[in-house]
This record gives sequence, C-alpha cells and structure tokens, in this order.
Amino acid sequence: MSANLSNLRHTHGFDLVKPLSVAALVLMMLPLILLPLASIFIFGMSAGLDKFWDSLTAPDAIFALKLSIVTSFWATVFNIVFGLFAAYVLARYQFWGRNAIIVLISIPTAIPTAVAGFALLLLWGPYGLLGQYLSDEYRIMFTPYAIILANIFVTFPLAFGVIMPVLETMDRSLEEASATIGASRWQTFWHVTLPALRGAIVGGALLTFARSVGEFGSTILVSGNLSGRTQTAPLYIFAKFNEGQVEAANAIAVVLAVFSFIIFSILFFARDWLETE
Amino acid sequence: MKTFICGLIFAAMICTGCLPGPTSTGGSKTITVYAFSIMKESLERDIYPAFKEKWRQQHGEEVNFTSSFAGSETITNQILQGAPADIAILSIEMDVDRLIQAGQVPADWWVTAERGIVNRTPFVILVRQGNPLGITDFADLAKPGVKLIHPDPVSSGGAQWSILSIYGSELKKSEAATGAKDEAKALDTLKGVWKNVISTPGSAREARTQFETGYGDALITYELEGLLMKQAGAPVEIVVPKSTIFSEHPGVVVERNISAEEREVVYAFRNFLWSDEAQKAFVKNNFRSSVNESFDAANAGFVKIEMPFTVHYFGGWKKAYPDVIDAIFRKQVKGQ
Repeated sequence: MSANLSNLRHTHGFDLVKPLSVAALVLMMLPLILLPLASIFIFGMSAGLDKFWDSLTAPDAIFALKLSIVTSFWATVFNIVFGLFAAYVLARYQFWGRNAIIVLISIPTAIPTAVAGFALLLLWGPYGLLGQYLSDEYRIMFTPYAIILANIFVTFPLAFGVIMPVLETMDRSLEEASATIGASRWQTFWHVTLPALRGAIVGGALLTFARSVGEFGSTILVSGNLSGRTQTAPLYIFAKFNEGQVEAANAIAVVLAVFSFIIFSILFFARDWLETE
Repeated sequence: MKTFICGLIFAAMICTGCLPGPTSTGGSKTITVYAFSIMKESLERDIYPAFKEKWRQQHGEEVNFTSSFAGSETITNQILQGAPADIAILSIEMDVDRLIQAGQVPADWWVTAERGIVNRTPFVILVRQGNPLGITDFADLAKPGVKLIHPDPVSSGGAQWSILSIYGSELKKSEAATGAKDEAKALDTLKGVWKNVISTPGSAREARTQFETGYGDALITYELEGLLMKQAGAPVEIVVPKSTIFSEHPGVVVERNISAEEREVVYAFRNFLWSDEAQKAFVKNNFRSSVNESFDAANAGFVKIEMPFTVHYFGGWKKAYPDVIDAIFRKQVKGQ
C-alpha cells in the first residue's frame, strides 16, 4: 500500500498527470463554455465585418448598450455603498437578528430574476401596493429607473458577499492603534479600514457591474422593452433573436462577451496590484 | 486610494451626463405602439414612414414612433401592469376584452370601420423543403414521429388561432361531408397534434426563429410568416390545409395612457390603419386586407384556401375562448 502511494507521488522524472489534467480541464470546458462562446463570434462575423459594424452602430443598439452601462453603473454605486455599510455593521457588531439580516441580504441570489421583476411591479406598478398612490409624473416602472431598481435587487448580495469576509478576517490591530492615537471612528474608517478593503471594493464593484449588464429576467418585466427608450442590451439581443435577425443579436452578444472578458481580466490582475500597493 | 476615488467621481460625472430618460423629441409627438410579434415588418417598413409623411404634410409636425413587439398575451399583460402603450395591435380579441375590463380601452372600440380589425391572415403549416414527411393537412401532424413546433397558448395569440384552426377545420370538413359537425374527431385530431409538439415558444415569431434554426419538422403559423421565410430564401414549403381559419387582428387605442394633446394624433394614426394606403402596405407585407379583398390580388404569394372560416364559425371569440380554448384545449387536450 505505502509502496503504491509513493509511486503515485511521482517524486522523480516527468509528471504525466500535469499535462493530462490540464488537457482534461480544457476538454471539459470546450463543449460547456468555449464552443458556445466561439459560435457567437463565428456567427457574429459570418456576414462579414461590414454587416457586423452596421449591426453594432444601429441607433437602437448603441442606445441599448448605453442604457445597460448607465443603469448598471448606478446599481453598482448603490450596492457598493450599501454592501460596505452592511458588511461594516454586521462584521463589527453582534446583535440579536444578525444572522437573519445576513440571510435576508443573500436571498436575491436564489430568487429567479423574473420573480424579482414582478415583485417590483407588484410594489411600484400603477396598480401596485405603493405605485397606486404615485401620480403619473413619478411613475417608476417602465422607465430606466425601474431597470436600476431591478439591477439593485438582483445584484444586492454580490458586493456585500465580497466585502464581508475580508472585513471579518481583517487584522484589527491597526484600527485599534488608530483609535489609541485619538482618531475618531470616522477617521479610522476612512484612513485605515477603507484602504484595506480596496481590493474587495473593486472586486465587488466589477462583479456587481458585470452581473447588472447581463441582467435579463427582471428587466424584461419592469422596463416595458421599448426600443430606443427602455431596451437594454440583453433585451435587444432577445428581441433581435426573436425577430430572426440573428446577426444583429450576435453583434451585441459579441460586445457583451468581450466586455465580461475585460471585466474579469481586470478583476484577476487588479486584485494583486490593489492589495500590494 | 485617492486615484480610485477620483476615478469613481470621474465615472460618476460621465454617467450623470447621460442618465437615461426618454430622448427629448423637441416639439414633435411620439406614439408608443405595443404590437403582437408579426406586426413588426409592416409597421416599421411602411406604415410608420407613410403616416409620418402624411402628418408632416397635413400638420407640419414630426411624429415619432417607438414600439415593442412580443406575444399578444404578453403585451396585454404588460399594458395591464402599466406599460405606456398608446396603441395596441393584438392578435386576438380576448386580449382587448381584458384591457376593457381593466378600464384601459373603451368598450366601444369596435365601433369603427371593419369592427376594429386591422388586418387578417390565414393559418398554414410550414414543413421542410421537399415535404419529407408528406404532410398535407392538420391531421397528418398527428402521425407518430412528427416533431411539431407550436407557440405557447399562454403567451401567444397565434397559438390560440392555431388551436381554433385545427379544431375548426375538422368540424368544417365533417360538416361539408356529412352535414354534422364531428366534434369527437376534431378533439382526436387536436389531441394527436398536441402530443407531437416538442417546443412551445412564447410568440409566433419566436416559434419561427426556432423552426428556422433547424428545430422540428413542422410549424403551424400565420401565412405571413411562411411567405416571409420563403422570401428570405429559407428551405421551407407552405402546406395549405383544406380548411383553415383566418385570424383577425384588432387595433385599439389605450385610452388610459393618452393625454388630451396626444389624442388627435393617436386616433389619426389608428384610423390611418384602415386607409387604402395602409391596407395596401399590409398586403405588400403579406397580411391580407381587412377592408377591401380586392387589394389582396396585389400579392402573388397568397395561397388559395378551399374552405376558409373565421372565429365567427364558433360564434365569435366570446364563445370560442370558453368553448374551445378553455373547455376543449385546456381541460381535455393539455391535461390528457
């Protein structure tokens, strides 16, 4: 038995398991992730670069991308501020109901996004719980603000989830030292705690942003899906696919795929840089 | 840290500049149209530009259109939840009734030329090139092994037309042969066809996209969809059932969403849908005219149907919906 084990350890010579397992990993990813992504690129370009560029620069397509980016940006700003605050309160204080709050914050992860959409409609829609008391000028549903609300709901736990563990495991001696030399709570937070969370904040923000840009299920319910007014990039893709304009759908899909590639590359490389700076 | 904050503020400044809102239209008017899926081409290619031109000539004012296309039931639900539609063009009158009940559309919407019906189109079967399975009528779709794509009656009006078409065609044929409607046979055919359905997309247009991407042997859909696919060079054939239904599509003004100043232009646009110009544009885009059948001669692609019928064969939607869609399809076919 022990002889077998030492054979498996490959303490000498070429380790065959390494290239084989890397190859197995790539092979597994091929049909699941890589080929589907590749087919978006192949079909997106199949009609030629001119056609690709035309689909990309169609006014409704540009509007859809812009709307997605702006609504996602505001959802990210809100969720970072909220996530930071929630993580700080929950990591620093022990109180009755703390676990319940953590569970509540995490709920949107498991709720189907379509449910998030109609939950918002049932609350803010013209016949909703609160929406029925709003006059027409302040109507939120079927405007870009509804998309921001939906994005906030769906990405609620992401930034919190990244920041909370960092805050919990943080070395608190620096904060204590800062307090000893007479810094106020706010000064300690601003000059000591926040810089230590830099990596987590950027990571949480990028995750939230990326997830918001790709959000579909809740947006289609609350936005009204009007091209050039409330149609985000994922809704545009869906609409074009349904209309049978697969090239137009693909052009935007390519942009979103490249976009998420960039986001996660930044996430990967920036984390080390931010944490060592 | 400072650079990070500066970056954040900078990004915030950029984004505040473009906080999205309805793009300002500077003195011009915008009509918001929610329409069922297959209305897209005719509206965007011909009807909108023609009305814009007409309004400009008559009033010296720009009109813009913004629209959303989805299954008839889906857009009805969106409007019921408050979507800002000025005009709704729906596949089935039952959806108009739902809007009336919610107080969004006046109950006398149909007191217009052609009872509020904007255009019509018969239901046909699409098969792969060469018709490899030898399908000639609805009953052939019930044969074992046929893979059928059929839109979902929950979200699509076209799906409900299709069900009425399958069921009604058997009644119509048996009535012509024996003088009596054979309801048992019609139910059997509908059951058999439904057993072969492999996918229920949300709208007629989604169903077509699925069929176009190579999924399924056959598709029941609007004649218009078949003609569009053939014009695009898709390797499909249109099979014309011996007896089939003409779907009739109502266009309504969503009173609740229009303001006093929009009223004139919105009603002008709705009435424009019945003008000769618009009706001819519908024919050009493969719909049949609801106003003047002689316009249909302009489209050489239209198929000939031996025994056509409309929803009035069932006594109108008010009877067809509870009697066929609900009592027969939902209770006896879907739950079989």
